[in-house]
Amino acid sequence: MTNATLDARHSPANLEDILAPDGSAWNEMTGEVIALTPTPLDRQPSAYVQAAWKDRNHGAVAAVTVQAIRNDDTLALRLQWQAAQPKRSIDDINAYADACAVLFPANGKDTDLETMGSPERPVVAWHWRAGTDAPFSVTARGIGTVERSAEHQLQARSRWSDGRWQVVFARSLESDGLSLSGGTDIPIAFAVWCGAGSERAGLKSHSPEFHQLRIN
Amino acid sequence: MNTAVTSKHQFAMVFDLNKCLGCQTCSVACKTQWTRGNGMDAMWWNIVNTIPGKGTPRNAFELGGGYKDGQPVPGELPGKAEWGEAWDFEYDKVFFRSADDDEDNRDYLRPRAHDGKPPRWGPNWDEDMGGGEYPNSYFFYLPLVCMNCEKPACLEACPRDTIYRRDEDGVILIDEERCHGYRFCAEACPYKRIYFNEQRAIAQKCISCFPRLEAGVAPACVRQCPGRARHVGYLDDPDSHISKLVNTWKVALPLRPDFGVKPRVFYVPPTMPLAFDENGDFDENQSRFPMEEMRKLFGADVEQALATVESEREKVAGGGQSELMDILISRNWNDMLGPYKQDPGKLVRPPRRGND
Repeated sequence: MTNATLDARHSPANLEDILAPDGSAWNEMTGEVIALTPTPLDRQPSAYVQAAWKDRNHGAVAAVTVQAIRNDDTLALRLQWQAAQPKRSIDDINAYADACAVLFPANGKDTDLETMGSPERPVVAWHWRAGTDAPFSVTARGIGTVERSAEHQLQARSRWSDGRWQVVFARSLESDGLSLSGGTDIPIAFAVWCGAGSERAGLKSHSPEFHQLRIN
Repeated sequence: MNTAVTSKHQFAMVFDLNKCLGCQTCSVACKTQWTRGNGMDAMWWNIVNTIPGKGTPRNAFELGGGYKDGQPVPGELPGKAEWGEAWDFEYDKVFFRSADDDEDNRDYLRPRAHDGKPPRWGPNWDEDMGGGEYPNSYFFYLPLVCMNCEKPACLEACPRDTIYRRDEDGVILIDEERCHGYRFCAEACPYKRIYFNEQRAIAQKCISCFPRLEAGVAPACVRQCPGRARHVGYLDDPDSHISKLVNTWKVALPLRPDFGVKPRVFYVPPTMPLAFDENGDFDENQSRFPMEEMRKLFGADVEQALATVESEREKVAGGGQSELMDILISRNWNDMLGPYKQDPGKLVRPPRRGND
């Protein structure tokens, strides 16, 4: 699997145009098709989850197309993937919503992706779930340690049509959290949850290696 | 990974099924204390089911979870139609109908499910079914709460250590701030006593009224029980009702011990009436309730437990004394409350409850 480099090129588009999941600002940006694989079952941190999913497939989504863009203030990422049977919300006790996330090493340089970071080298992720208004900003210091935190500069918009999700994450270039200013070159990874397949928590498709995001 | 650590005390309950009336006062006591908040309309942390019956949710004990040979058993999580919904009733139509409406065509309060249709299932839906053929019909009531298991499948299933056992009394709680609503716990609970709050996307369950326990007050379901069917206390205190019924007299048994979770709610099995024989006479050797079903519910020790209760009853009926009967009757009902005898009405500050 080759590592892709995503270029976040400068655009004159304003925030609203960038946030529009099918906005024209995205037409000009090249996309990278990122291959996704199921997360390893033996890394699931509960014996119950391992037993319950032993004979059951997860990681239904095989690829996500990713684009990046920036304007003077904001960095945005658009994730698109095929979802013939979208789950747009948690609408029952046994229903799970579609979701996606992008993940960075908190130090901007490196960490262990397979364990979702470590106590010394945490990861930061932006997590969107269908049916919710705001994305979560999360940090993790190992599998099962995800903590949601408020990051007010983070926004997300989503759209489902023609069997495809389009999700845009947008965050201020300058923030108290992760540094994403111009000239930043940072590892990035991706994950998608297929709600129709009851995927949640560590049961998901993910990019098993970091790719690279270059913010021009 | 999280394991169920031990606690200083083992909070436990004994439900005497010979005294349960099936009145659901416990369920309503719990409802008014704890489940009036957003997304909790359909929650019954305490529920009384009729046996035989499919339970709450439907087929509750056939959905997997728990352990077999020490290994976790995959569980199913039913949807809201199977749990039973909080129905809407057509109050507007009934109370505010026009005076011109045809008197013969009066409306009444019809329950409606979320899809506007008549409900097809609900908590203890099959209450009036029972089992057996007349005149050998049979049933009994089975109250259910969180079992605070010694080997809690819910706690061990959670991938993010959201569920924990309290050090002081062993009560098992879900940290709502930490819960991300993945629901592996709800699948793993073999008694299906964990609910999902759709609005808040978190799991919620019976909390053994822990704010009351901390004030020395028994759980609401226990204190409100009109049949005085519920004992509370510490399993590790050899002088407690709980320990005497479970360990000394061995008449209080775990429900479905084959689930492998070692629950800390115990049941005094019901002594069922004798069966009628073909001549309409009592068959002295035959209970109406099939012993095979009783063994499935309470394990192989159930016959001995029933025999002990019956023989102690006979002893007292013959003018004798029985510690077991004294405990089960509990002439002073406060004796059933173990270390939780405090009258909440006499507290300066009442214990916290939901939505306060």
